[in-house]
Amino acid sequence: MRGSSVGAFLSLLMLGALSLPAAGQGAVWWSPGDGTPFPAQLDDVDGDGTTRLLLEGGPMQTKGHPFFEPKGDDGRACVTCHQPSDGMSLSAETARRRWAETDGKDPLFAAYDGSNCPDLPQGERASHSLLLDHGLIRIARPWPPVDAAGQRVEPDFTLELVRDPTGCNASKSWGMAAEAPRVSVFRRPRPVANFKYILAMGFAIDPKVGEPLPIDPATGQMVSGNLLSDRRVLSLEAQMQDAAHTHLGLRQGLTAEEQRQILDFELRLFVARQQDRIGGDLDEGGARGGPETLARSEPGRLGSQGMAVFSEFAAWEKIPADADISPEQRAYRESVARGARIFREKMFLITDSAGINSPVGFGNPVRNSCVFCHNMSQMGMDVAPGQVDLGTTNMPFADPQPHLPLFRVTCKGEPHPHYGRVIHTHDPGYALTTGLCADVGKITLQTLRGLTGRAPYFANGSARDLRAVIDYYERRYNIGYTEQEKRDLVNLMGAL
Amino acid sequence: MRRLIPSLLALLALTPAISAAEAVRFVSCPVYRDTDAGRKSGCWLAEERETGRRFDITPSATKPDWSMGVLVEGRIAEKQDNACGAPLLEPVRVSVLPEMACTRAMIPAEGFPGRRFVLPPRNIRPLYAPDPAPPPPYTAKLFPIPFDFGRDFAVYQQSDWMLVNAATYAKAAGGTVRIIGYAETQPFTLSGQTLAEPADLARRRAEKARLWLVGLGVPADKVSLEWRENPAPLADPAFDGLTETSRRRVDIRVEP
Ligand code: HEC
Ligand code: HEC
Repeated sequence: MRGSSVGAFLSLLMLGALSLPAAGQGAVWWSPGDGTPFPAQLDDVDGDGTTRLLLEGGPMQTKGHPFFEPKGDDGRACVTCHQPSDGMSLSAETARRRWAETDGKDPLFAAYDGSNCPDLPQGERASHSLLLDHGLIRIARPWPPVDAAGQRVEPDFTLELVRDPTGCNASKSWGMAAEAPRVSVFRRPRPVANFKYILAMGFAIDPKVGEPLPIDPATGQMVSGNLLSDRRVLSLEAQMQDAAHTHLGLRQGLTAEEQRQILDFELRLFVARQQDRIGGDLDEGGARGGPETLARSEPGRLGSQGMAVFSEFAAWEKIPADADISPEQRAYRESVARGARIFREKMFLITDSAGINSPVGFGNPVRNSCVFCHNMSQMGMDVAPGQVDLGTTNMPFADPQPHLPLFRVTCKGEPHPHYGRVIHTHDPGYALTTGLCADVGKITLQTLRGLTGRAPYFANGSARDLRAVIDYYERRYNIGYTEQEKRDLVNLMGAL
Repeated sequence: MRRLIPSLLALLALTPAISAAEAVRFVSCPVYRDTDAGRKSGCWLAEERETGRRFDITPSATKPDWSMGVLVEGRIAEKQDNACGAPLLEPVRVSVLPEMACTRAMIPAEGFPGRRFVLPPRNIRPLYAPDPAPPPPYTAKLFPIPFDFGRDFAVYQQSDWMLVNAATYAKAAGGTVRIIGYAETQPFTLSGQTLAEPADLARRRAEKARLWLVGLGVPADKVSLEWRENPAPLADPAFDGLTETSRRRVDIRVEP
């Protein structure tokens, strides 16, 4: 047993580590209030390997814990959408299994945001198709926006509905013309783990907007600006209150003690892939994959100034000829190591991506690699606030998503630097927070760890699997990856 | 691959009327040359239409957008390397002109190597290893902050670094901070284009500077704000000798 795992092994002996069964046997569903203690190390085994959750500081009782206890009338808890066996997110596959197992009765499918729109007939599968087919939760944003300090924001663009397959944006009770006007967009749950990195501040500035880092009005302190797709909150505390009011339907919100407990859990939890069925442990043979490295490393560092992004696998670039591993294992490990190099070193032209190509002066186009945006050591998110328009939600770069609403944005002041005055989008993203047309389609970069358990990918679930992510980039930026390079990148993503 | 002749003489002989240190100033559409020497190594070129001379404007902290016009202000570099296939301007400042539409133009590398990216000297230190506070004595000090034409954006790895320096000094020195924003509202004509900055830009620049100082910890009640139009040009290292560009600036005066 490797030194790095001794602590985990001890905690396993003392307190019992939990190993969840493989997907084929039906992955474990954590129901709100079932009282299973959260172990110091939780291994989720699926058909391709193991994802490990590490709860730094030891195991935790979930009985009575506000992340796990049912709250509100629906019987939901945070854990409903942030499932340990899905890397603390929720895969579309898990949602489907849950639908089948409970005949659609699980609190996950609550009308408010677990259905395409609350005013649809809730017993029908079709009313939950976005969650079941694409893993999407309805997010209802006030329109016009309200900022983090509660002030109404006057947007510099108009928002019109072009297409509304769920009916929720046109709905009299829930839509854009309702008494409390709301824009409904549909998003994937983001993983609840690795917050040491997500909250980390590398520099005091946000170069993308040419300003210092945002300041949390609740504390007066600078914050990382890396939470939620649209950065509508600036702290985990504000996020959990938002979640409590929306996802959990709580009128009262969470008490100070409940907030403290949730925060404690969130800050201690790390997730990463630990083992591959073919490649073996990801922290073997000199590699440093797995969550232990995450728990032990300093967050918020630029890969270009410190430890190169995903160089955890550098030792696998030169595996000794006499290493005691099978040819398949060797091939896998070499592929992951190549994938990390490709991620950092294969250059392509990044074009028309607001946040990168404008307004900051990198130029349009600019030659760079995946690591330009995914630049934080160990985590692969953005050290700076990561609001970037990759094109995942904006036409013409977004893949067709007939199941999603489509909005027409018309900029009232300056036209958008890359799209002009009129933009068609499935999700205005960050612009729903700032009210700026220059921010339409900007989505905060996510952590790239523990990816395997949480397909589909991108905030709108438009990439079915990791290969589809790479294929999207290939289309978007005309990269010219070889088939081998694509496979290496997919293997790397799967090893994170 | 074609051998390049990176000699200044050869380069100057190929291009009409180029002399080192000559100041150039023009408006044009940029051309992207797709060189590849790793990250951020593409070349930006722009032609001075009046003379037909094409220049390498890549060293500007602000790079062009291939669909928008550029205001180029620079000096022909003493040391030419021909990395991009045109005489190099350095120092050079590029301002992007969103109102001036350009047809996207990308040309291949044609054997030119481009330049490997090196971190510019004006870069902000990470929070885990900040620059030390400047030592006393603290005297009145002026921090001029350059801005691109028409914008209040703090230029990455240039003006942002200067703003951080101003804030660091102001925090160490104490006392008051006077911010004076300027805009060049007096129209000037270049390459057949008449350019003038809007009057409210002087205020927006001043407010942007205040946002930085206060955001970085300078007490808000110590900071005062003024704005004016068409200042006299200022010779200061912040402008790298391109004094014309200093009409678009903010002066931060730290008065301990
Ligand atoms: C109905 C499903 C659902 C429930 C219940 C839910 N969440 Fe989430 N959570 C989401 C979705 C969807 C997102 C992403 C939203 C977005 O990006 O706009 C998210 C995002 C988050 C994030 C942001 C992570 C990041 O990196 O940006 C945190 C933290 C979080 N949830 C915590 C909680 C907590 C705490 C609770 C309970 C109080 C909770 N969630 C309940 C669906 C849910
Ligand atoms: C221009 C900046 C940029 C570049 C370059 C970039 N990404 Fe991304 N990446 C993003 C943004 C922004 C998102 C979030 C988009 C969304 O969710 O719609 C993202 C999301 C992802 C995700 C999805 C994570 C999840 O949880 O859904 C993966 C995987 C990913 N990127 C991998 C890559 C790879 C591989 C490359 C190189 C081919 C790359 N990225 C290059 C900006 C970038």
